[in-house]
Amino acid sequence: MSTDAVVTTLSTEDRPVRKAPRRPKPAPGTKRLSPLRVIGTVIVWLFTAFNIMVLYWLLGAAFKTPLEIFRDPLALPSQLFKSGRPFRNFIYAWDTADFGTAFLNTVLLVAVCSVVIVLISAPAAYALSRLGVRGSGPLTGFIAIGMGIPFQTVVIPLFIVLAKVNLTNNLFGLGLMYVALSLPFTVFLLTGFFRSLPDELEEASAIDGASPTRTFWSIMLPLARGGLITALILNAIGLWNETLLAIVFLQENANFTLSRALFTFYNAASYQSEYGGLLAGVAIIVLPMLVLYILLARRIITGLTLGAGK
Amino acid sequence: MTAQLSSPPALGSTPRAGGGTPAAHVARRKRLFWPFLIPTLVLYGLFLIVPTIATVVLSFSDWKGAGDTPKFNGITQYTRIFADDAFQSAFVNSLIYIAVGGIGTFILAFLFTMVLRDMRGNKIIRAILFFPNIVAPVALGMFFGIVYRYQPGRQGLANFLLESVGLKAAKFLEADVVTWVVLGSIVWASSGFYITILMAAVDRIPPYLYEDASIAGASPWQKFRNITLPLTWDVVGIAGVLWTINAVKIFELVFVMAGSGTYAPPIHSWTLGIFVFDRSFGDTPAYGTACACAVVMILLVSVFVVALRRLLRREAIQF
Repeated sequence: MSTDAVVTTLSTEDRPVRKAPRRPKPAPGTKRLSPLRVIGTVIVWLFTAFNIMVLYWLLGAAFKTPLEIFRDPLALPSQLFKSGRPFRNFIYAWDTADFGTAFLNTVLLVAVCSVVIVLISAPAAYALSRLGVRGSGPLTGFIAIGMGIPFQTVVIPLFIVLAKVNLTNNLFGLGLMYVALSLPFTVFLLTGFFRSLPDELEEASAIDGASPTRTFWSIMLPLARGGLITALILNAIGLWNETLLAIVFLQENANFTLSRALFTFYNAASYQSEYGGLLAGVAIIVLPMLVLYILLARRIITGLTLGAGK
Repeated sequence: MTAQLSSPPALGSTPRAGGGTPAAHVARRKRLFWPFLIPTLVLYGLFLIVPTIATVVLSFSDWKGAGDTPKFNGITQYTRIFADDAFQSAFVNSLIYIAVGGIGTFILAFLFTMVLRDMRGNKIIRAILFFPNIVAPVALGMFFGIVYRYQPGRQGLANFLLESVGLKAAKFLEADVVTWVVLGSIVWASSGFYITILMAAVDRIPPYLYEDASIAGASPWQKFRNITLPLTWDVVGIAGVLWTINAVKIFELVFVMAGSGTYAPPIHSWTLGIFVFDRSFGDTPAYGTACACAVVMILLVSVFVVALRRLLRREAIQF
């Protein structure tokens, strides 16, 4: 179609690419190794090593007996492997806390909510950043204020109202809240992405006769794909880890999300001194995030810190 | 060209292919504004703005919760909570998290940024330091609960390390010190986030400024004071706002670390978030009181945000 042609012609067009200034090599003799710098470097490396050790300790402890966790915290796990049941802690946590149901609930809730959040936020962000309607600026600011409202301030009225319409202890009700409360951040994030897109493409598609809605769907959305995916991932991470609302709004085991189930499991497991099982539970909620992070670290880091820079 | 689309042309609108004048096209585009925005505004209003207003209104009432009707009694709730021990320690602790934690995080982040700036492998180090930011606070709290465990003979990792270098084990999770231990853990966990923000800002500073300063014989501190700080000032301000927003709602980490298995942690360790939770969903609900505390939380955020803006407002330096 004509619109596709527009995209290809314009994106292959040569633009002067500005390179970031490369840091020149210091002249010989100017680079001194100050003691301060050496100490700083050592501290940074120690701090980093400590982070890695902590992660190793967590993953190792999930395969250990309580005695091993406390006696030889830094040794590799051995007892459970010797007895032929290396995943004993995971099985214990999975069964006792009903993590199976919780896992399914969480994956479903997080997937649906993240998609819905982006579907609602993208048009709003587009409207606020590109349509040039008067008042867009203040309106964007008004929505951004929502990022500063702590959940604790809205939780009581929401609980009362949702209890009236039977949406407490209900994953749909929780999902509704997740969507609504994630909008300010997502809209704010996406306005940044839409604002950075070039004007020429919109203009060209208008000249080619595309309707404004079509311009949005087939030109602007695909162009902002990077931003949309970032928004999707960041929301998924945030909701995966969300605990406060889940604690307040879910009471029945069958509806629990992972963080909610872990919260309940904590009391039971520490009462029974099941520290291995407890850390296996922690690992179950952390591992999917770790995998996601290893795959997408750059995108996650830039996305989360985007709003703060320029 | 751009201006034609974003603002209606005054005159001379020539017909274009695809029908309609530019003016007509602009008008058609603008017609999308409300349909695109309304779903967001409706949900935002229903789930954030209206409940916030409701909380403010309810904070002027005495209301135990379900089965009771709110009786409006002016600012009684506010005078009552400020005389309440639990609220006082929650308020002080939240202030500690915001102010001490904020300053600590920024000193740490700046030091790291200065060292990481020209260190090999800084991207990987940054990624490793960033990771705790995407771990659920509940999971972090439980994990720290075991790391800081005190039980002679079966010490957690922290005490194990202390004992292995010949020091005495410490009771990290006792009510009177747990706030500082949680604070340290939060600073540790979130440092990667602020290091990343500051590093992005520092990276934009042209290197020749530092070279000039070196030639003029500036010390590292002088370079930091006269180049780095003024040129990253606006980013520091935004990061400060983000820190405040996050620090005021600290909840899960304290709840889990200080609670250690029991239901509610001792009141010495409370934060405003825990106070609201306890008064609304704890053993003896008092919704009016909880709402008053929630309003204090919003006011605290606003005060800090306005103060930070004031404090950090400088002439924007173009470079």
